[in-house]
Amino acid sequence: MDTFLEFASGSLFRLSFAIMAMGLLRILVLDIWAAIEAYKRAGDKNVPWNQAFRKTIAWLFPVSKVLNSRPAYSLLSIFFHIGLIIIPIFLYAHVQLWKGGIGFGWFTLPKLWADYLTLGTIIFGLALFIGRIVNRASLYISRKQDFLWPLLLIIPFITGYLCANLNLMPKYYDVFMLMHILSGDLIFILMPFTKIAHCVIMPLSQFILALAWRFPPNTDEPICATLNKKGTPV
Amino acid sequence: MKQVNITDEERAKALSPTKKPEVMEKQKLNVRYHVENYNTADRPRRFLEAFAVILKYSNYRFALEHFIRMSAKCARCTVQCPISQVSGDMRDIPCYRSELLLSVYRRHFTIGGLWKGRLLGKDYLTDEKIEEMADAFWNCTACKRCTIECPSGIDHGLIAHLGRYILSEIGIAPRALVVSVREQLEGKTGNTSAIPVPALIDTLEFLEEDMKEAKGIDIKFPLDVEGCDFVFFPAVSDFLMEAETLMGIAAVFTATGGSWTTGTGYFDGINYGLFYSDRMLERIVKKVHAEAVRLKGKSILIGECGHASRSAKYFVPTYCGGESALPVYNIMEYTYRVFKEGRLKLDPNVVTEPVAYHDPCNIARQGWIIDQPREILKAFCKNYVEMEPKGADNICCGGGGGTVSIDEVRPYRTSIAGKVKAEQIRSTGCKYLVAPCANCKKQLRELVEDQKVDCEVVGLHDLIYKAIIFDNTANNKQSAK
Repeated sequence: MDTFLEFASGSLFRLSFAIMAMGLLRILVLDIWAAIEAYKRAGDKNVPWNQAFRKTIAWLFPVSKVLNSRPAYSLLSIFFHIGLIIIPIFLYAHVQLWKGGIGFGWFTLPKLWADYLTLGTIIFGLALFIGRIVNRASLYISRKQDFLWPLLLIIPFITGYLCANLNLMPKYYDVFMLMHILSGDLIFILMPFTKIAHCVIMPLSQFILALAWRFPPNTDEPICATLNKKGTPV
Repeated sequence: MKQVNITDEERAKALSPTKKPEVMEKQKLNVRYHVENYNTADRPRRFLEAFAVILKYSNYRFALEHFIRMSAKCARCTVQCPISQVSGDMRDIPCYRSELLLSVYRRHFTIGGLWKGRLLGKDYLTDEKIEEMADAFWNCTACKRCTIECPSGIDHGLIAHLGRYILSEIGIAPRALVVSVREQLEGKTGNTSAIPVPALIDTLEFLEEDMKEAKGIDIKFPLDVEGCDFVFFPAVSDFLMEAETLMGIAAVFTATGGSWTTGTGYFDGINYGLFYSDRMLERIVKKVHAEAVRLKGKSILIGECGHASRSAKYFVPTYCGGESALPVYNIMEYTYRVFKEGRLKLDPNVVTEPVAYHDPCNIARQGWIIDQPREILKAFCKNYVEMEPKGADNICCGGGGGTVSIDEVRPYRTSIAGKVKAEQIRSTGCKYLVAPCANCKKQLRELVEDQKVDCEVVGLHDLIYKAIIFDNTANNKQSAK
């Protein structure tokens, strides 16, 4: 078991973290690069960047948006996201690990807060999963990953909570800790290849939206020529 | 948005086929709108070829790449879509409709999709999927209400727009729109309503006589005057159907001494290219700009028409030289400016009935024109009532995205697409519903007729024409710019 734990939290963790970091960085760079290229080609360079910026802020802190559509689901989603971001970064045990690895740490959550937030995140994740199933429209449009992600994301929270709070036998502790680390590793590996990539490109959305209707000029002729439509009537 | 339901009878009528089964079989197309005969052979390959060429020469790829990574399938768009809410059909969910095209992009134009396709040998584009897209993208009125509440920032309107464009390149586009654009770009008259220049001149002379009789002064429609501040392009159908709107506009210019003209070389603001083909959009926009340049005009002025305004405002800079292109205004911007300057006098005792204002999606969704017409209306309409939601959150009339010009889908437009709007109008109790858009007006008139709502649909300048005061016109001739 110790060997497994060491592998999962050592080599595998470093590999999965590298895949996540490089994968997300690749997506972010490609997204920005493509947007710059699109801007260069656009005939109208007058893009409402300020409006896009304002909308980005509104969506990053969606207080004003939450009640407009599916309020219960949206609220759950916001709380779930808060837990997903806050807990892994500011948990005392995680920060200590970082401190050991890179030499410095940062602010950590008081244990009680961390526990409540962890339990909340688990409940919100389950509720989101149920919300996806019971809402007809949501159920109809969902892909496999849409059902699986909330469940996968709460596994490290459940196992982490168990390890931190229950006086488990060392054997069970190790099993849950292994599950905790492996599920975290799996999440890291999958992030760049699934919808979770939105964690880095979401702030670009409104800028891309603002730019998307800025078309390049003079496309009629090359498109006609390539599709052998030159001279054909409308 | 208020929950609105329809009866099974209404639903059956709205969704009933409009074409003969043999036509649908011949065209391999189960859609309600008419399509000209086209080459039905090998459609998936031709669809993919057109998609590839469009991606190569356009800016769509970067947006699609972003959308396929962002799509979270949260279904918030469902609540915002007035069609989805009324039809209850899961296929009308904006995110579902968008996924039809995004899945084709993901499978055929991304490395992952191509590998997956080769390894598993599945998900190749099929005839059935093309047929589904042909139906789905034309059930949408392109109002873009779904986009404002999408946390992932997915522009379902853009995806429907692109889907229609690709389909049109393989010959699948509503005949009503294609025929109009053909006349506009290649026909003898050069406009969508096929109005010859002599008929235009006769019409304007008739309107001038009518205005002389009604108002007692000379109100002119200047033609081919060079060097004006504004070269005017209404929706050309206004010359046939919206005389009051045109007379109101002419009256405002006369009362405020504005410098404007209509060109006989080209006088149609309509641009159906916006609804189905960027290539047509570009050609038409260039015609508008070329006519304004021919007349040495200082700017382009679009009449009361949402899509004509948007296509000129946003695409004249795109296709006609960026910052060096002529500026584009909507007529309400001019009227609002002269109103604020105190140069437009309106009698507050003429329009006493309840008046409501409908925001055309193409000018309101992005916040371009929302408060200006309201301010004018509140100044002279004693009984102005507001609709909710309004402005950038407005509900579509149900005939957006070019669907209003497809007469064979009227039952769909008035029973499903416009149902929420009908109830919204009814709840205001208005006598006059102001809709400053040629498409909205046509749709809303059909809507209030079919849904039995007791109100008259008019343009903003129709009411202004009733209330305008010609006050010391000679002294009011300062520059209109």
